[in-house]
Amino acid sequence: MLGAGAMTNSVTEIRDTDLLFVIGSNTTEAHPVIAMEMKRAVRRGARLIVADPRAIWLTRIADMHMQLAPGTDVWLLNAMARVIITEGLVDSAFIQAHTSRFDAVVQAVAEYTLDRAEQVTGVPAADIRRAARSYATTSKAGIYYTLGVTEHSHGTDNVYALANLVLMTGHLGRRGAGLNPLRGQNNVQGANDAGASPVFFPGYQRVDDPEPRSRFERAWGVDLPAEPGLNLNAMFRALARRDIKGLFVMGEDPAMSEANASAVERALRACEFLVVQDIFPSLTSRHAHVVLPAACFAEKDGVFTNTDRRVQLVRKAVEPPGQARADWEILCDLARAAGYPMPHYSGPAQIYAEMAALAPRFAGISHGRIQREGGLQWPCPSPDHPGTPTLHVGGPINGRAEFKVVHYRPSAELPDGDYPLVLSTGRTLFHYNAGSQTRRDPGTVAKQPESFVQVHPDDAGPMGLTDGQRVRVISRRGAVDARLVLSRQVLPGCTWMPLHFAEASANKLTNDAGDTVTGTAEYKVCAVRIEPTPPT
Amino acid sequence: MNGMNHDISIRIDGHSVPARPGESVLDVARRAGAHVPTLCHDPRLEPAAVCRSCLVEIEGQARLQPACSFQASPGLVVRTDSPRVRKHRQVLASLYMADHRLADGLPQRSPAGSSLRGFAKAAGPLIQLHPVHSPRAGRPGDHNPYIGFDPGLCILCARCTRYCDQVHGAGAIALAERGRATTVSTNGGAGLLHSSCELCGGCVDTCPTGAMFDKKPSHHLPGQLRRVRTTCGFCGVGCQLDLNVKGGRVIKVTAPAPGQTINDGNLCVKGRFAYDFIHHQDRLTQPMLRDGDGRLRPSTWPRALERVATGLKRVQERWGSGALGFVSSSRCTSEENYLLQKLARAVFGTNNCHQCAAT
Repeated sequence: MLGAGAMTNSVTEIRDTDLLFVIGSNTTEAHPVIAMEMKRAVRRGARLIVADPRAIWLTRIADMHMQLAPGTDVWLLNAMARVIITEGLVDSAFIQAHTSRFDAVVQAVAEYTLDRAEQVTGVPAADIRRAARSYATTSKAGIYYTLGVTEHSHGTDNVYALANLVLMTGHLGRRGAGLNPLRGQNNVQGANDAGASPVFFPGYQRVDDPEPRSRFERAWGVDLPAEPGLNLNAMFRALARRDIKGLFVMGEDPAMSEANASAVERALRACEFLVVQDIFPSLTSRHAHVVLPAACFAEKDGVFTNTDRRVQLVRKAVEPPGQARADWEILCDLARAAGYPMPHYSGPAQIYAEMAALAPRFAGISHGRIQREGGLQWPCPSPDHPGTPTLHVGGPINGRAEFKVVHYRPSAELPDGDYPLVLSTGRTLFHYNAGSQTRRDPGTVAKQPESFVQVHPDDAGPMGLTDGQRVRVISRRGAVDARLVLSRQVLPGCTWMPLHFAEASANKLTNDAGDTVTGTAEYKVCAVRIEPTPPT
Repeated sequence: MNGMNHDISIRIDGHSVPARPGESVLDVARRAGAHVPTLCHDPRLEPAAVCRSCLVEIEGQARLQPACSFQASPGLVVRTDSPRVRKHRQVLASLYMADHRLADGLPQRSPAGSSLRGFAKAAGPLIQLHPVHSPRAGRPGDHNPYIGFDPGLCILCARCTRYCDQVHGAGAIALAERGRATTVSTNGGAGLLHSSCELCGGCVDTCPTGAMFDKKPSHHLPGQLRRVRTTCGFCGVGCQLDLNVKGGRVIKVTAPAPGQTINDGNLCVKGRFAYDFIHHQDRLTQPMLRDGDGRLRPSTWPRALERVATGLKRVQERWGSGALGFVSSSRCTSEENYLLQKLARAVFGTNNCHQCAAT
């Protein structure tokens, strides 16, 4: 919609921002050091508006907490848009100069009245109005979001609804003003940048566009497929249908981290040929036909691109254990074993140079430059370009930005009589994703030794469940045991679990209903019931 | 900083130096290259002006003034190295050392570049004073495995407590008790695991004496300590950190100084402490192939790579390229992601390639 799936601003701009609208991001736990910048901004006097179904740490220092019911983001955001439009707070000059189809959004949001928004989201109408006014009337206003926005079957709609707010207020292309997805993993941004995508070659060039494709064909000396491939969600569905027979998995544990993990594990077990390349044995590697030992980040060179598009160096400090080797070395040898003349790269610097020569956005970036100048933020089209701390200065990078009409669609699975509670899942401060690293360290384990499920006292009481009790959390897809934590962080009717514990893998419960555009699964909303764990 | 407006000038040690009104004399002096020692100063914190080490002479002021909190104003005349200032530093350093175990020799874990030691050394020959033995309490019952506190090394500069409050917002530690017994403690003296501490370790980094220390490192490994600047491998913030390597092992992680990198000298508990996985015994160390009897057994690289290549080729020949899938990793480097998609597209003819966290 804006032409780049990345933060529009830099992390260092947060401290100078006057209003932070943080939605679906538990920043202090998922991005602790960015949260320190937010705390600094608030200390300096910036206003902080948090929209989150849970009372997270940031809500303690926030001016407002809009505690919306999980999955009702579109209602909240469209109602905010309606306030901004009806109260004349839009930036008409920006809309006229840099956008299209605003009228369609004006029409579409007309039905999202405050009263009805309050009924659906649970957020008081007055709060929604106040948030909309604050956001629209503060020039240096930045939106920050994470997986609480995207991990829904309507995740793309949520992002579009946020982008509509940005475009109608013109809060874009200035220091502190913009739309900022905080990327969850060290190199999500870099992996996307490098073309680990079914739709894009490196540098966000579409595989079904003949111009870039022929460029890559010339560079790599082979014909390339023109049809977009399957996204991850679709890939695992195809695996379950036996349409995919051979799977190569590098540095992931899908049996643990994909939604509806039991189905994923069944599919992996049935896979005709499964290769896993990783640093630890995992739930997935148990089903592999070949397991390849890889080096971890401390044992190899390369780059990671962080959440603000900053390409930074990773440097080898120690040797990998035993016969483990860097993933790049393994992949080169594998390509040669399969008969492809992969160049004998001298190292990651040369690999990066090959990619940069094929991707205009990164053309000016090289290991040598980062070594000399520190991290470089793309777009960086030439060696004399300083990089781009703030995107869309002077207008959206792809020309006119198009407003998108979005309408509320309920989450794929809502609570009912059999499964009366909503479950959301997420990350905690002390652990990281599949837990393979942080569950092997004494302090993080001491702080958080086991899985838990947060339940509101109003729900636990009538069920006769007490704090600290072992309970079984059950969804249509599976059941796991965890310790019950009575908590007013969650709304009545809602529960929350961390995703780090293999022995109580929350993803056995989650719904793999995918977003229609990205395939991202609905990790944030599924229906469960909770019972005392039966005695063994 | 770029684009700074210097609309006034002040005199520092006889030289005219541009400054902004309201800027601290310390910042201006350091920019001008003057040496002004500090102990309680950290650019991320509001000035506390409690350690007295940055006192300078300012014309028109009867007493020496703390450079960290004294604001620049037009025509200010500052002397950072006058005999009076030097005498003050000598006396101050002597007092600190009398109430500090550094006087008995540096504990091994104390950082080599301990600011207090540097201050004392630069302050000239110390005046021998009777050692003071402050009854400052530690936290002997604190069993957290990451952060230690040695009250004998503490000078009560309160950098740790102010960092905990102002930067992290955790408010886990504060100055406690009174007078000579004043110490750094948690609410009720509880161990850090049972406090609001999030184990970020910022107190360790900011401590100028080594009183707050990292409990993890083993210094008994052979070889020189090496520091390797790299990018944290956990979340997407991209914090820069230094892997401290000794004897071929990562023994510690430290943060670059504030003001240099995107993380401004800050790290979280994972980035600073959760590195044991690197050398963990569970690491995969050899290629493994599934045998005829269905068990994974160790193999060699040539055999394993051959098996992977033929296994994927066989699927491709039998079912077509569309029957292959490649799952790439947001944990790996960009170069490795580039190579994996190149492998999928150029070698096996499929766009079924996606990274694990495309959200």
